Amino acid sequence: MNYPFWDIPYLGSGWVIGIIAIFHVMISQFAVGGGLYLPLAERKAMREGRTDWHDQLVSYSKFFLILTGVFGTVSGVGIWFAIGLTQPEATSTLIHNFVFGWAIEWVFFMVELITAAVYYYTWNRIDAKLHLTVGWVYAGASVATLVIINGILTFMLTPGDTWLGVAGTGQEASKFWNAFFNPTYWPSLLLRACVCCSLAGIWALISASRINGDKQPALKASMVKWSVKWLVPSVVAMPFLMIWYYMMVPTSQQALLTLGIDTINAGTFSAVTRMALIIIITSATIVGVAYYLAYRNPVDFNLSHAIAILLLALMATGAGEYSREMLRKPYVIGNWMYSNGVRVPSANRIDREGYLTHSNWTWSADRNGPGSSYSRGEAIFRGECGSCHTLDGYRPLRQLLSGRDRSSIGNFITMLHEHKADSPYSRFMPPMVGTQQDINDLTDYLNYKVNPPAPGAQKTTLTAQK
Amino acid sequence: MTVKTITSSAYEWVDERLGLSELAAFARHKTVPVHSQSFWYYWGGITLFLFMVQCFTGVLLLVYYRPGADAYESVRQITVVMNFGWLIRSVHAWSANLMMFSILVHMFSVFFMKAYRKPREFGWLSGMALLGVASVFGFSGYLLPMDELSYFATKVGLEIPTAIPYVGAAIANMLRGGPEVSEFTVQRFFALHVVVLPALFLPLLGFHLWLVQRHGNAAPPSEEAKPATERKSIPFMPNFLRKDLAMWLITLNTLALLASVFPWALGKQFDPLAPAPAGIHPEWYFMSPFEMLKLLGAVLPGEIGEITGILLFSVGILLWVLIPFYDTNKDSGQRGRAAHYFGLLAIFALLATTVIGYWTIR
Repeated sequence: MNYPFWDIPYLGSGWVIGIIAIFHVMISQFAVGGGLYLPLAERKAMREGRTDWHDQLVSYSKFFLILTGVFGTVSGVGIWFAIGLTQPEATSTLIHNFVFGWAIEWVFFMVELITAAVYYYTWNRIDAKLHLTVGWVYAGASVATLVIINGILTFMLTPGDTWLGVAGTGQEASKFWNAFFNPTYWPSLLLRACVCCSLAGIWALISASRINGDKQPALKASMVKWSVKWLVPSVVAMPFLMIWYYMMVPTSQQALLTLGIDTINAGTFSAVTRMALIIIITSATIVGVAYYLAYRNPVDFNLSHAIAILLLALMATGAGEYSREMLRKPYVIGNWMYSNGVRVPSANRIDREGYLTHSNWTWSADRNGPGSSYSRGEAIFRGECGSCHTLDGYRPLRQLLSGRDRSSIGNFITMLHEHKADSPYSRFMPPMVGTQQDINDLTDYLNYKVNPPAPGAQKTTLTAQK
Repeated sequence: MTVKTITSSAYEWVDERLGLSELAAFARHKTVPVHSQSFWYYWGGITLFLFMVQCFTGVLLLVYYRPGADAYESVRQITVVMNFGWLIRSVHAWSANLMMFSILVHMFSVFFMKAYRKPREFGWLSGMALLGVASVFGFSGYLLPMDELSYFATKVGLEIPTAIPYVGAAIANMLRGGPEVSEFTVQRFFALHVVVLPALFLPLLGFHLWLVQRHGNAAPPSEEAKPATERKSIPFMPNFLRKDLAMWLITLNTLALLASVFPWALGKQFDPLAPAPAGIHPEWYFMSPFEMLKLLGAVLPGEIGEITGILLFSVGILLWVLIPFYDTNKDSGQRGRAAHYFGLLAIFALLATTVIGYWTIR
């Protein structure tokens, strides 16, 4: 459409975002939870006169500063880089709609980074109460970043009717607060807050596991046990918050989950349900493992145990982020933009005028420069299918369409083009937009890949002209 | 009477007859060494857990599986018709693979900790026997669905014994139940899988576990070299047991994840008249020997290559199995180091040939 296509063979561009995002979420949510953990632990140490806790917290805050300040920020920039290339249309919408949101988000980022550094470097150098205040300033700023980013992330699933009413008129930013406090905002915020607390406890266990239990058994036992308690809010509240979140999700998206649950006994349940199961199973495992390995054996708790819990948390976080993304299907912004970057109201126009007519970055064969190295069909494949599918790799079309001849592939694409409400594919796949010529070109390209011609047969390539 | 009194009376009644207190006292006194390599102690327990999962899911599959001509259809029904059949089959297949993996990890950790030395020689030998039986479990179970891949992979696998001079062909025919892999082969493999192998495996496992209880966990040579006062240990009950349970929980989680996200696929029904499809290969734990034979066949083509391959294998396995009898010295002398390098070489050869095997699948 308006941007070049970013083709990532085998892995798919979506997974480039996914891999960076899962890594980033693990650290950024720790930055919020850890921001509360540190001042609360420091206050506890001050009140109880625990000097041994004080030394441990100095070391922990160094770990915290390096992990969040370096890896958290670098991966955050990585996400911007990846989403800009993978979903430029959606990224553009987010930037234009939330200019004020991004501005204040970055102000709080700056406050976070500065106070985290000040907090670490002023241990034992300024008055203890003032030091604690620096910790609280950090905590406030980091919670504020969550409060803001949550509005933008939940907007993508449930932009709300008010915003959708002005979408495409140029007045979108006037409904900023309606878009921000959208239907899934509050359940999502509380869910993420619980996850932040859990991650604070889990990362703190990494640090506490390195205390020498032979030399400082009391310190190790108290730190390990206190850190495990940070998992309690999730254990208690998560089930209720997940139900609340589910209730606020649009009916069409709820259907993705219920369809999965209804068909679980036959094994044909949807990917989003599989991921939801992983979240539940892995979260329960984390609680059990933390109880057995850490809470009941705090002095013997070692780094391998802590890493096992961290890896489980990575698994749960990955599954959580994947489900959140899957739940938006077939949209990238609910009811406004399909997951391949086509705006919902533009679909009819593209059907009349052709998909490549509006693709600014496909070569035109009648210009003087070199012609396209790929066919019209491949250009349509990259634009309309490439954000979710690869040819050989993640959701591989060559494999998914194997066994079909040209006619069958054409019928399948026509079915996607018609996008009838009763088609099961309409629930999670966007329509194939374009003219009959576009359908034929895409069919030819996919047929060529699925049923390659005999060796020696002449290959006809129609260049990707407009 | 309170609940506590009732529980206490019931316990006393059972204890008087079974001697539970003695068992509990024994467990309390048993200790497990704690050192930087303690992590490897969990792998025996993980293997045991996966074996229990195998038994449980295997019995459930047995209810609907029909060996013989109906084999494929019954597995298809289990997978797509029976409620949660896909899950049971998927868990069975994944846990079999995870069990082979955990056995290998357990074996190499025992090897590098020198836990085969006196007085644990029988522990090593029974462990090797268990590995052998588990491999046959894997080989026989692989054929049971009778889909295209399992049929042709078994066909290739059963051609290997034919290289043994004089008796090879007879052995292969006996395993196949004829000159070709057919419904008779499935019948035989089924009997092997659910009767013969469990009958061998269970007593061996009992013997292996009894030896572990008798001799305890071995510490690596670096730990044994320390004075007794510097060595650390924790009680088996409840400290180590709790950790073991946590590891079982993690294993169960991994298994649930693999089985639900990547359900074990069922291929097309086999057609003995069709050509073998591209990409036929053995299970990953047989890939290394398969590739080694292939590579040797390229260097020494024909019968001589096949016989040399089988001979080399036999010598290698014999050297591996008999290691407690020639690496006996407690000190890490020349012979101990040689055994160590032998282990490293074995890992390198297994990994390299497995990677080459998958790389060259056509």
